[in-house]
Amino acid sequence: VAALAAPAQAADNDKVYRLKMAETWPSNFPIFGDAPRNMAKMAETMSNGRLKITIDSKNKHKAPFGIFDMVRAGQYDMGHSASYYWKGKVPNTLYFTTMPFGMTAPEQYGWFYNGGGMELMEKVYSKYGLMSFPGGNTGNQMGGWFQKEINSLDDLQGLKMRIPGFAGEVLAKLGAKPTNIPAGELYTALERRTIDALEWVGPSLDLRMGFHKIAPYYYTGWHEPATELQFLVNERTWKKLPADLQEILRVAMRTAAYDMYIQSYHMSAENWDLMKKAHPDIQIKSFPADVIGAMKTANTELLKEKAAADPLAKEIITSQAMYMQKSRVWTDISDKAYLNSLSSQ
Amino acid sequence: MFLLRLERAINTFSDLLGKIAALLFILMLFNVFFDVVMRYLFNDVSIGMQELEWHLFAAMFMLGVPYTLRTGGHVRVDLIYERLTGNKKAWIDLLGSLFLLLPFALLVAWYGVGFASEAYELGETSGDPGGLPYRWIIKAVIPFAFFSIAISGVGLMLKSVNTLLGHHPVARYQPPTH
Amino acid sequence: MIGIVMFFVALGMLLFGFPVAFTFGGVALLFGILAEGPEMFAFMPFRIQSIMENTVLMAVPLFIFMGIVLQKTRLAEQLLESMGKLFGGVRGGLAISTVLVGALLAASTGVVGASVVAMGLISLPVMLKYKYDKSLACGTICASGTLGQIIPPSIILIILGDVLGIPVGDLFQAAIGPGFVLIGAYIIYILIYSWMKPEAAPALPMDEDVENKRQQYVKALKAIIPPLALILIVLGSIFAGIATPTESSALGGIGAIALAAMYRQFSWKMVFDSASETVKVTAMVFAILLGATAFSMAFTYTGGDYIVEEILSDLPGGATGFLLLSMLAILILGFFIDFVEISFIIVPILAPVADALGIAPVWFAILIAMNLQTSFLTPPFGFSLFYLKGVAPPDVRTVDIYRGVMPFILMQVAVVASILLFPAFYGLT
Ligand code: NA
Ligand code: NA
Repeated sequence: VAALAAPAQAADNDKVYRLKMAETWPSNFPIFGDAPRNMAKMAETMSNGRLKITIDSKNKHKAPFGIFDMVRAGQYDMGHSASYYWKGKVPNTLYFTTMPFGMTAPEQYGWFYNGGGMELMEKVYSKYGLMSFPGGNTGNQMGGWFQKEINSLDDLQGLKMRIPGFAGEVLAKLGAKPTNIPAGELYTALERRTIDALEWVGPSLDLRMGFHKIAPYYYTGWHEPATELQFLVNERTWKKLPADLQEILRVAMRTAAYDMYIQSYHMSAENWDLMKKAHPDIQIKSFPADVIGAMKTANTELLKEKAAADPLAKEIITSQAMYMQKSRVWTDISDKAYLNSLSSQ
Repeated sequence: MFLLRLERAINTFSDLLGKIAALLFILMLFNVFFDVVMRYLFNDVSIGMQELEWHLFAAMFMLGVPYTLRTGGHVRVDLIYERLTGNKKAWIDLLGSLFLLLPFALLVAWYGVGFASEAYELGETSGDPGGLPYRWIIKAVIPFAFFSIAISGVGLMLKSVNTLLGHHPVARYQPPTH
Repeated sequence: MIGIVMFFVALGMLLFGFPVAFTFGGVALLFGILAEGPEMFAFMPFRIQSIMENTVLMAVPLFIFMGIVLQKTRLAEQLLESMGKLFGGVRGGLAISTVLVGALLAASTGVVGASVVAMGLISLPVMLKYKYDKSLACGTICASGTLGQIIPPSIILIILGDVLGIPVGDLFQAAIGPGFVLIGAYIIYILIYSWMKPEAAPALPMDEDVENKRQQYVKALKAIIPPLALILIVLGSIFAGIATPTESSALGGIGAIALAAMYRQFSWKMVFDSASETVKVTAMVFAILLGATAFSMAFTYTGGDYIVEEILSDLPGGATGFLLLSMLAILILGFFIDFVEISFIIVPILAPVADALGIAPVWFAILIAMNLQTSFLTPPFGFSLFYLKGVAPPDVRTVDIYRGVMPFILMQVAVVASILLFPAFYGLT
């Protein structure tokens, strides 16, 4: 990150820096909420108490989707959220969370840290006086809970599904009907079949929503292969920190992000086990090849439109595509080949 | 009688907001109904129409607040208030508007301006496909409504002053009810 | 400390009788600026936006509109009168009908403002017309209007499910039993009260011109059908998957217009007038929410949440002792702060302790939900009380409302105690 090179002030070894951080999540929200807390704890310990970060949850600031503005204005020094929430404000923030048919978590971390991702993210955020860092990965998200089976493209026609954002746009192109339902009414809406399907996260967080009790089909993922949360930092705050605290903060954020990825993986495994034990008849399904193919085509077309409309979007999309091409070859001959060789036994 | 005329002008303004809010409510009612019918009978969903629901809803209740202030519809704890004379009530409304309502409404309105203009500068839109553009419009309702609350509050102050000056017959001072 | 001083100042200021919403806002402003400076209020637009975007709250104006149309067309009056007559010479029949209508409304919304105000518009005038005791009428309406919090769908249960990590469906199921017990308790209370004090809840005069009693019932049934059909449309549309609970309230509003048309009372003027009334009542409710959000902002940003947290983390152990103390704490806090704050600030502190003591999470959640429902009724900051006062005729005084809710608060506490002592009876172990 270029900002790291900025000359830091002479370090005053006793001065305590107190930063305020706002998170999008409610208090006690598992996994997502653990990442910023782990980060703050690490930063405080590593700095020997010179860096103290307090975290305000959604229940306190009441602005889960105002983090971008509040950190930008300096009402908070930092935020923990997800980049794609800001696409209504700054369209190019879309690309730094995850993309349908995009990279897996290891691939995407490779892109962020070694493939030019961090530099592109800086290009997007620095205009707004903000710095963005990876903030923890959920791993591959599930495709969602369905009341009916999807056997062909016809089954997508008029499918009422709660699926926000870019993935919703992809499905809409194939005739599905993305639908807004408030989170509190999702359970009733799916149970009463007001909607046919919804996507949430994965077993790690779906378990507590209880969808497995009311929908028979759990589809595997395609639309969020590696959802990366985000630490936002106000640039003025960052520049006020002495160089050693900047480094401590950076390392704490990076470590907390990776820790969350592990925790998500673990909790998904644990919770899937619980779900399956409680409701053995949940059916895991994958979309048939022609449906996936059509989704992929629609996705590519949408990306083409976005690239044509904005040079920076084009640069990001191209960078991701190039990096994925290269890293996927390795994924194929390493992890994928390993799993394939086991399953063919 | 300048003060009386000014009070009436402000009342007209607040009443106008009330009429707009009533229209917004009717639009919202049919908007929600339309969305349900389209989804259930025609399997069609429009994110834009769904977002319009809360746009209408929000604008309706925000513009309704100054109107309701003018019609005396905001609830009071009247354990003591109800036993006071018209003049004492007028003093409470005068001082309450001046020290509680006005500073609150103006400060929120002031920060609301920055809030809405930021959305304007960013060209903020809905984050969902097919959602509504021009997010600044609904955000601008916040400063507009709070400035209007302040104006309506000035109307309440004038009403109190005019009552104290004897321009209003005390009988007319009873707050209207629903 | 500031939070606590602020609370008592607000309490004192409220007594002057300046509108509640702006008293909250003004006091929050004073203390916010004293403690942190005016910049704190830069958060207000965000908080207001979160109220504006909260689509679940759309049920408030929609149900109010339904209530106003039913009232204007006198269909509501007929419904309540007929139901009152169905109970024949039973005293308190109107109040019992109110409880039943309140329970039906509760099953279609979880928003207290919506049902208290709708009930206030629908049944208060009728009960007053038949010379019901004002306190009994007000207490019945506040309590039945608040049933929406425990009878699913319910916002408290949804929030608690979120905070405690329990599937919302489980909570909804668990809440049905306690909800029915509560309804039963209300009805029994009304029966006993009107038996002891006949003049407080007179039986409705039976039609003299109809000789045959059976004809009387037929007539009553006929009057009940249209509005009852409306409520069934609202509930049915949720169960049939036609509409979400919030949207069902719009079907109620449109249905009310259709009913008015069927009874030849439709005109666009009637619709517009009802909309104007709706705006007034809705704005009254939301102004309180706007003032309260400023108040809770000043409370939390000046460290009030940490004080409460400290006190609660020191609650002594032992499952029963902990439950008793935490219920007491929530009940007392409910006098002062609203249920959302309690759910998000207090419950997360208590939950791990309850967990460690082996208290069943669903049981704990239902206890809290019941307890929080009570907080809507407890003066001075009981939102139901504000809402009813906002729609009541001027001769209904705040004191009447306070006096009226007291017995219902006691019943609530008794039911909470019974859930605490006999969880097995409610299937909550
Ligand atoms: Na309910
Ligand atoms: Na209370």
